[in-house]
Order: sequence, then structure tokens, then C-alpha cells
Amino acid sequence: MAVVVETKELLQTIVASVVAGVGITVVFSVAIWGAARFADLRRNDRPLAAGAAAALAGLSLAVTLGAVAFGIVVMSA
Amino acid sequence: MDSDVILVIVVCTALAFDFTNGFHDTANVVATSISTGAARPQVAIGMAALLNFAGAFISISVAATVAQDVVNADAVTPTVVFAGLIGAIAWNLITWSFGLPSSSSHALIGGVVGSSVAAVGFDAVIADGLLGKVLIPALVAPILAFAVAGVAIGLVYRVVGRQRPGLVTRGFRFGQLISGGLLALAHGTNDAQKTMGIITLALVANGTLAAGSDPPLWVIVSAAAAIALGTYSGGWRIIRTTGTRIIKMDAAQGFSAQGAGSAVILASTHFGFPLSTTHVINGGVMGAGAGKRVSAVRWGVAGNIVTAWILTLPAAAAIGALTYGVTAIFGGGALGPVLVTLASLSLVVVAFARRLHRGAPVPAG
Repeated sequence: MAVVVETKELLQTIVASVVAGVGITVVFSVAIWGAARFADLRRNDRPLAAGAAAALAGLSLAVTLGAVAFGIVVMSA
Repeated sequence: MDSDVILVIVVCTALAFDFTNGFHDTANVVATSISTGAARPQVAIGMAALLNFAGAFISISVAATVAQDVVNADAVTPTVVFAGLIGAIAWNLITWSFGLPSSSSHALIGGVVGSSVAAVGFDAVIADGLLGKVLIPALVAPILAFAVAGVAIGLVYRVVGRQRPGLVTRGFRFGQLISGGLLALAHGTNDAQKTMGIITLALVANGTLAAGSDPPLWVIVSAAAAIALGTYSGGWRIIRTTGTRIIKMDAAQGFSAQGAGSAVILASTHFGFPLSTTHVINGGVMGAGAGKRVSAVRWGVAGNIVTAWILTLPAAAAIGALTYGVTAIFGGGALGPVLVTLASLSLVVVAFARRLHRGAPVPAG
């Protein structure tokens, strides 16, 4: 009997969708949080904490863009 | 000679379907960006058209599914493909006139299944392929997008909830340019392939290509161009429904809906499931609304959309079967498809003339 549903591929699709969809959205929101905290902390004259927030924002943005690039590569593979 | 004429009609009809697909499904790509103010309408639509064109070249796995896994290629003739396309175009135009974001993919598959059944009976349908590659992913995809967007927006509000709204909104609007671009790319990849698949099916049925062949380059280029042109033409009615009538959307919700939609479409494209981008993005929009507050979703509008989704396969199949029946009256030659094409064009012209007479729809955004 033919396998009607390719269960393994369907499960992989679900897992990949959840990880990518939730993960990237949350990571990007961390980038925005970092940028907002950076602006606040710099205004309050706390350069060290502001630098850390900026670094977190930059890293999160880089992860987001990297994930988008990875998604395109995976799609075209 | 007759078979070549029919093949030319089929290719032109397939490209016309691809145009309506871009036109009808523009909303999937741009509605959230426009409604949250992330991009101006013409900029969003222009960008979506370009990325739809580019996306069509990325992968052909979905085209292979449409061409090989849903109907038995041996039992299908170019006339069957033609009738199926007419069914799909007709359903696309009917749902567009009501502003309902239904699935062009399911209209196409339904139309071809209906005309195949009318031509040679139920043996033409590959039931396992239809169930496993189309119906089950169609059920899973919008629910998955709904859940992903709902969970994501809940977490997003926890992360940025206490920050200043102005900066957060600007940040998510910027994010929407990226997620909207990715969605347009994914849409081009997924949807343009369906037309490639159907033209390939017609070429195989005509004996021009061997069974199991990949789409030729000219098919890929013309399908990409048709969907991009359709997208650029824009479908304001459906943009308004998706962008403003399901939920009143903020930039974070728009980003979550687009992010969830892109993730689901890209993942399913990679595994060759020809899912509906319409179902996915509208599921994402509903999820992003429900994740904030269940009552934020206008469930009456959502119900109408889901009803259109349920009706799409059988309605397009019925129109496809009827069209095949009409062409069969005129024999197996080119006369039937030619007359049906002329009648269809006349109907479309009359419908557009009446709509123009009543006044053009007001653009959203």
C-alpha cells in the first residue's frame, strides 16, 4: 500500500516552520529591544550598559539576516 | 495541427491563470506591509513583483508535484488541462469579485482534477498524491501558520512590551521590509511553479516532452514573468480584506504574520508540498490577531474566507468538468477550446465593463 502521507517530511516541515517562524520573530524583537534600551541607557548616561544593549541588538539583527539567507539557501538546495 | 493549436491555447491560458494568480494573491505578499504603513502601496507591490519573478527560478520541486503526483499524466490531454485552467481562472475571478482571498493553487488543482474526471473518470486521479501532497498539507499549513504567528506575537509583546511604542513600531516596520521580501520570494517560488507544472503537463500530454521531464527554461521564464506582471497589477479588493478586515494590525503583528507565513511556505516548498500561500498568510494574520486577543479577530470575515477555501476545490473541479463537457461537444479538435476561450474572454470583458461602470474599488492603505 502506498504511503499516503509522507509523515517524516510533514513533521520536518512543521518543526522547521515552528523553529524558523517563532525563532526569527523573537530574535528580531530582541534586536528591537536592544535598540530601544540602547537609546534609553545612552540618554541616561550609562555608556557601558548602552554598549551591551547595542551589541545585543547588532548580534540579534545579524542572526535574523543570517537566518533569512540560510532559508533561501535551503529552499534552493 | 489541431493538437498544436490546442497546445498554444493551453500555454496562453496557463499564463493567463498565472497572471490572475499574481493579481489575486498580491494581497498575500503586500497586504500586511501596506496596512501597517511599512511600505507605500506601489513600492510594496513593485518589490513583490520583482521578488516573485526572482523566486520562480529558485526551485522546481512543487512544479514536479503538480505535474506528476495529482493526476495521471497518461490519461490527460491538452484539452483536459485547458478545461482545468478555465475552472481555476473562473474561480479566481469569482472570489476576487467578492474580495475573498481563496487559494489559486487549489483552484488549479481542483480544475485539473475535475476536467480529468470528466474526460476519463476517477482513474485519472492519483488519490494518494491528492490526499498526501495537497489535502493534508492544505489542512496543516494554515493551522501551523496560525499557531506559529500566535505564539510568536505573544513572545514579541513580552520582549518589547515595555519599550517606547514609536521606536518599536519603526523597528517592526523595517523588519516587515525583510519579511515581506522573503514572503514575496517564497510566493514566487511556490506559486509560479504551479503554472510551470501545468504547462509541463500539457507538453507531456502533447508528446512534446517525455513523461517526468523538468519544465524547460522558456516555461520557467514565461511563468515567472506572468506572475510578476499579475502581482504588479495588484488586487486591491483582497489586499483590503487581508490587510484590514480580518484584524486591525500593528507592525509587530504584521511582522509575525509575515515571518510565520514565510517560514511555513519555505519549509513546505523545500519538501515539495504545493500548499496555498493564501491559506498560510491568512492563517498567520488570524494567528497574530488571536495571539494578542481572541476577540481581535473578526471571526465573521475569517469564516467567510474559510468557507471560500472549502468550496475552492469542488467549485473549480465542477467548472473544469463543465468546461471539458462543453469542449467535448465540438469533438476532440481545436474548435471546442477556441470557442470556450472566446466565450470566456467575452464574459470577462463584460464583467469588467460592468464593474467599471459601477465605479472602481478604492485602494486600501
